[in-house]
Amino acid sequence: MTTATQFAKQQTEIFENRAPKSGAQLLLEAIEAQGVDLIFGYPGGAIMPVYDVLPRTSLTHILCRHEQGCGMAAIGYARATGKVGTALATSGPGATNLVTAIADAYLDSVPVVFITGQVPSDLMGTDAFQEVDIVGITMPIVKHSYIARDPADIPGMVAEAYFIAGEGRPGPVLIDLPKDVANAVTTERHRWRPYPKVKPEMGTSENISRAETLIRAAERPLFYIGGGIAQGDGVAELRELVERTEIPVVSTLKGLGSLPSDHPHYLGMLGMHGLKAANYAVQECDLLIVAGARFDDRATGKLDTFAPGAKVIHMDIDVAEIDKLRRADVFLDGSLKKNLSALDPFKDEPYEKAQIEPWRELCYSRRSMYEWDYDAPGNGVYAPKLLHDLSRRAPDSAIFTCDVGQHQMWVAQHCYFDDPKDHITSGGLGTMGFGLPAGLGAKLGAPDRTVITVSGDGSIMMNIQELQTLHRYGIPLKIVLLDNSALGMVRQWQEVFFEQNYSEVNLDDNPEFSKVAEAFRVESFVVRERSEVDAGIDRLLAADGPILMHVKIDTMENVWPLVPPGRSNADMMER
Amino acid sequence: MTELQRDKTFESSGVSGTLKVVLHDVSGTLLRTLGTIERRGYDYRDVHCTQRVDGDFDLLVRIEDIGGPRNLDILCKQLERLYNVVSAEKVGRRKRAERA
Ligand SMILES: Cc1ncc(C[n+]2csc(CCOP(=O)(O)OP(=O)(O)O)c2C)c(N)n1
Ligand SMILES: [Mg+2]
Repeated sequence: MTTATQFAKQQTEIFENRAPKSGAQLLLEAIEAQGVDLIFGYPGGAIMPVYDVLPRTSLTHILCRHEQGCGMAAIGYARATGKVGTALATSGPGATNLVTAIADAYLDSVPVVFITGQVPSDLMGTDAFQEVDIVGITMPIVKHSYIARDPADIPGMVAEAYFIAGEGRPGPVLIDLPKDVANAVTTERHRWRPYPKVKPEMGTSENISRAETLIRAAERPLFYIGGGIAQGDGVAELRELVERTEIPVVSTLKGLGSLPSDHPHYLGMLGMHGLKAANYAVQECDLLIVAGARFDDRATGKLDTFAPGAKVIHMDIDVAEIDKLRRADVFLDGSLKKNLSALDPFKDEPYEKAQIEPWRELCYSRRSMYEWDYDAPGNGVYAPKLLHDLSRRAPDSAIFTCDVGQHQMWVAQHCYFDDPKDHITSGGLGTMGFGLPAGLGAKLGAPDRTVITVSGDGSIMMNIQELQTLHRYGIPLKIVLLDNSALGMVRQWQEVFFEQNYSEVNLDDNPEFSKVAEAFRVESFVVRERSEVDAGIDRLLAADGPILMHVKIDTMENVWPLVPPGRSNADMMER
Repeated sequence: MTELQRDKTFESSGVSGTLKVVLHDVSGTLLRTLGTIERRGYDYRDVHCTQRVDGDFDLLVRIEDIGGPRNLDILCKQLERLYNVVSAEKVGRRKRAERA
């Protein structure tokens, strides 16, 4: 990702190159200049000038079968590689099909540049064919956006777009390119006024030492970590600090893998489907050290009952998160990596571990007490056990992407992660249809790693067309389809909170997924019984090409524990 | 409003005040700013915008919350997160009750 200095240098270089070029050429060359080699896109009228130039560039273009697939593939690519992703679409319906992906990238802080064609400038505002105001539509869900009005602006604009997408708290940036601007040839280059904001590098030394004082005084301290650890490149620093202080850790959905799942100080995921040991620890801690997390309601439950007796140290690169939902006693803004490595509470004083020993014992004894039980009655496939076994047998470097629903929570609860980039899930937006395109994007970004998509029978249908993209490019993605013939998560809520009034959640008319896969020329097989699971995992992991394992599971299986919405995390319901 | 929020950081419904926001002249600069104010739970009552000699804009906007716990400092930080916003600060602030 571009640094501020590189960005400034790029702006000067752009100004010096004055060969006559079209807007479309300038766009694609500027993208290449960012070091991008792979883009996801779908052509159409308004973006045709760009597609006309595309074959003459070094860019590899992946044609997904729906613009939403392009957007989510770009997200999967960005999350697996740590680079900025790129997605391209035409105006009107092409652009609106990107909207869900843009929102997904916004809520999960994923750096992606989205480029849309637009009707010619003179037709803008006339309700022209395939005209929508995509900049207006997406204004609340982008980090920034542009309408390119002059080809001479494009090189500087593109460099700034990639810079903004990746800097600070990452996020999506949109460039809307009218067709006439793409066609217009110019020798001009406009110097782009650089707006990068000056942000503090890290918390003040005064706040660092106040945080250290709080840590030294605490008897029941706890780390509450989130997606910011991975995004702020703070994994190693977090692990080092945790090992130095021996303070227990709970994680959000997005923070999973920041500590290995079997790390001695790790208690598990907190929140609505969190582990009991993790939720109880939050309730009882006297100091919450929040790193790259934002008090999301799925993590906190009823906010005023969350960590009621705790002081709060909040570290986040986005100052707008600090004090937003819970007042911080000490805040450390700027780089999480730098803040985590600066914190050294016991540098001058010997570490009185005895002070937190009873707390640690309580936390760890609860962790053993509430270990998962993988014994389930009957012969049917028990999804949590399947996922547990699959993730232990897959290579350590395997990446899991998933869709949204019960299967997503089972992945979070039962799979083993030792790096946050190993777990790619739609956390903030909770977007059904995310898993398959994100998986193919991740596999293209990390071709040497095993990538497994865990999907549900509801979710997979939302972007099922991307099976064709797997076939077209021979992308060896491994799909585990957990088919409970239901919109399982909604069904579970209707069972538990709506007195079993099941309404529009039954999917027992699902297509034969293995035949669907076959029609897309993707290898597929069905697992119906528990006794078939081991061989199924073998076949899945051994496959050379794309493969779909269709697993039939019990409709009535639920995700436990469950904190009812609006209730305290202490009120966990169980089986 | 939650118990834990009932401290100096948050105020119950009835927050109003005037913000001074400096904006760069980029496309949609006013929309982005006013849109953020609305989406974050405030109505605007009065909007004044003038262009400065350096090309930036001074925006003065009087706002009132639409209910719920609100904090104008956080709104200012949320505005400053926008790339078209140079700075955002409170210039006046009263509780509605006190005005009565
Ligand atoms: C695009 C979208 N529409 C609707 C929802 C609401 N929703 C959340 S989970 C869920 C059910 C998902 O069903 P499935 O993919 O089969 O997963 P399961 O819960 O059965 O494992 C629904 C409808 C959503 N999250 N995203
Ligand atoms: Mg299902």
